[in-house]
Amino acid sequence: MAIATDLEPRRAPSLGDALDRYYGSLVSTAAVVAFLLVWQVAAARGWVNARYTSSPGQVLAAALDIARHDDFLHHAWVSFSAFSLGFAAAFGFGLPLGLALGTSRRLRLFIDPPMMALYTAPRLTLLPILIIWLGIGVASKVAVVFLGAVFPIIVNTMAGVREADPHLLQVARAFGARRLDSMIKVLVPGALPAILLGVRLAIGRGVLSVVVGEMFVSEAGIGHQIMNYGEAMQVGHLMVYAFAISLFGYALTILVRLIEDRVRSWRPQP
Amino acid sequence: MSQIEIADVAIEYRKPNSDETFTAIRGVSLAVEKGSFVTVVGSSGCGKSTLLLAIAGLIPRSRGLIHIDGRDVEGPGRDRAMVFQDAALLPWRSVHGNIRFGLELQRWRRDDIDERARRFTELVGLDKFSDYHPHQLSGGMRQRVNIARALAVDPDVLLMDEPFAALDAQTREVMGNELLRIWERDKKTALFVTHAIDEAIFLGDRIVVMAKDPGRIKAIVDIELPRPRTTAMLDSAAFIAYRHRLRDYIAADMRSLALVGDAA
Amino acid sequence: MTRLFERHQALISGCISFAVILLAWQLAVALGFVQIFFTSTPIRIAVAFWSGLRSGEIAANVGVSLYELACGLALAGVAGIGLGVLAGWSRTIEHVLEPFIWFTYACPIIAFYPLFIAWLGLGAPTIIAIAFLSALTPLYANTLSGIKNADQDLLRAARSFGARRRDLFLKVALPGSVPIIVAGLRLAVGRALTGVIAGELFGAAAGLGYSIAFYGQKLKTTEMMVSVVLVVILGVVLTQLLSLCEAATDSWRTGPGQ
Repeated sequence: MAIATDLEPRRAPSLGDALDRYYGSLVSTAAVVAFLLVWQVAAARGWVNARYTSSPGQVLAAALDIARHDDFLHHAWVSFSAFSLGFAAAFGFGLPLGLALGTSRRLRLFIDPPMMALYTAPRLTLLPILIIWLGIGVASKVAVVFLGAVFPIIVNTMAGVREADPHLLQVARAFGARRLDSMIKVLVPGALPAILLGVRLAIGRGVLSVVVGEMFVSEAGIGHQIMNYGEAMQVGHLMVYAFAISLFGYALTILVRLIEDRVRSWRPQP
Repeated sequence: MSQIEIADVAIEYRKPNSDETFTAIRGVSLAVEKGSFVTVVGSSGCGKSTLLLAIAGLIPRSRGLIHIDGRDVEGPGRDRAMVFQDAALLPWRSVHGNIRFGLELQRWRRDDIDERARRFTELVGLDKFSDYHPHQLSGGMRQRVNIARALAVDPDVLLMDEPFAALDAQTREVMGNELLRIWERDKKTALFVTHAIDEAIFLGDRIVVMAKDPGRIKAIVDIELPRPRTTAMLDSAAFIAYRHRLRDYIAADMRSLALVGDAA
Repeated sequence: MTRLFERHQALISGCISFAVILLAWQLAVALGFVQIFFTSTPIRIAVAFWSGLRSGEIAANVGVSLYELACGLALAGVAGIGLGVLAGWSRTIEHVLEPFIWFTYACPIIAFYPLFIAWLGLGAPTIIAIAFLSALTPLYANTLSGIKNADQDLLRAARSFGARRRDLFLKVALPGSVPIIVAGLRLAVGRALTGVIAGELFGAAAGLGYSIAFYGQKLKTTEMMVSVVLVVILGVVLTQLLSLCEAATDSWRTGPGQ
């Protein structure tokens, strides 16, 4: 009989326990603050070339400038809509395909190799081809996002389905469930954690794709602004936009993690 | 003085994120003589593994004393070695490497480590498999490595927590015989936790019966069967009598299980 | 025996897939469904590939890209695994590094490309820097995860033999992390390759990415496709190699009931 690992020997709760919980955040915050301070000082004292590295002060000033003069919302919207379109398409296409691949061994044997080849290909490599096909514009952007997001979804959905508990499927079949039924009622819920993981990965890649795509082929959008400011060596402004896109991706990831946690809580522990 | 002295030991757990206390065992007292083989039985949740872990020094006690050769148990020590139910072998080491593991951790001399590892590999009958890795071994073989690893560090006390529970019935029987054969050599003091009544009777000089809710010692039965034990004894009248006695002790617990519904 | 057949089965079906795709591709263009301008054809690409090989152009480009990839990966390996080990040993270090690692992961490295060019100039150092940063996160994250998720049963067994924290770390947690680190390496290679190609696309003077951009701008689809195909092949080959490594260390994977 194994000892349940979620119980721990009794100890009186102490101040140390309360501090422990916040210790991590404390140290992280302190590290960031320290870094910002060193950065600011180094830039001010000329230890590093502020033209290249900017400084916290400059970045803040840039942020204000952007808030006032740039049409930030417009750019954010352009990027967001391109991302959403591409992501939605990736999900709508990738989920069913992943399910199909997960269940059919034959399909898998034939589709896996070319798919894996595409997966490992950097999307940027395909961008020029996409430009030739779809021209410079939103279509190419959305296509890049799609390509970036679709593979993690397919691959992880496939993996989730393959890891499905065969016993559960047997039970469903014993009760006369037909294939579509057992797929919806057993397979998908069972594969949900894997699917969510795929979604989370897809978000990361999708956000990256939209930025990169915009750096190349757009008149607007966050990536476009990044490219502009980069070429103009306005590092402060560049950082503001880079930071903005990171936050966006982070926020979405947190959202998905919350859903993941919810889903995990009603799964039986292995 | 007995080698192991346990006096009024209690172990309580605090559930994380709550103030509820769960009492695993309470009021446990036991004396174990040197060189004896004591088996511990009881239904699920009676705390037998908890007790063993406390003796091993892997979990702290809330109350009471545990002394081994007069010394208080405060943590793991060289005088005790534990054999877990799951073999917990390092998958990247061979049989030989795994048996060396405990010796390395306890900083034995290098020559001794090699020599002892080889000796105990042979003792458990795995000398031909010395270079195999765990994933190439059967369950029974892995447990032999587990046992060899524990014996190699020359403990005063051998603690075994249901080491054969994951094995099939036939292997289990074979391993029981093997264990006794190995044990007969040095006759280390041994504590053996198990679910299986027959196994407990077959292996032990004394049987400690534990009950649950709360975990405590219900009875101690001395086994008067001669050593070395043979499989033929399983059919003897004495054995059957012991089996009935123990069944009765444990049945009480099982009845409460059926009525109340196990919350564990 | 059946495993051998299965492995070949995958290979065979893969070859069939590719053959079918190539055939369909060639037919689509030949029959006019797709303009040759858009995708070229397998045959023309093969011809261009052959002449590129003979002229040494392909070797040069592949060499440059591989070199940058290797350097970037090597640096990322040392830094990523090294920092991961440190972070696994000390929670304080982990907390200190966390915000920076996350930033490296979440932020599109390519955004800072102009900066890199300013700092390091056009050429290999910049590309290597991009590859390094791209590959860093998976190596760090997996090393750390492998250490933190060390098999509890093994740790407990070691503790019962009196292992101290250093022993637990060096003899159980670290060796046990190797499979996960190798998995991280597989991810890192993909990301590093992406970084190299992306960097070269933007403005290097040599390498596969540069070649793609060069021919792409001139709308010379055939030559461009040669490089694209090469990149894809490179990615597949590298990933497969690492998958083999992963499989080799797979028997190390600890798990419940092992």
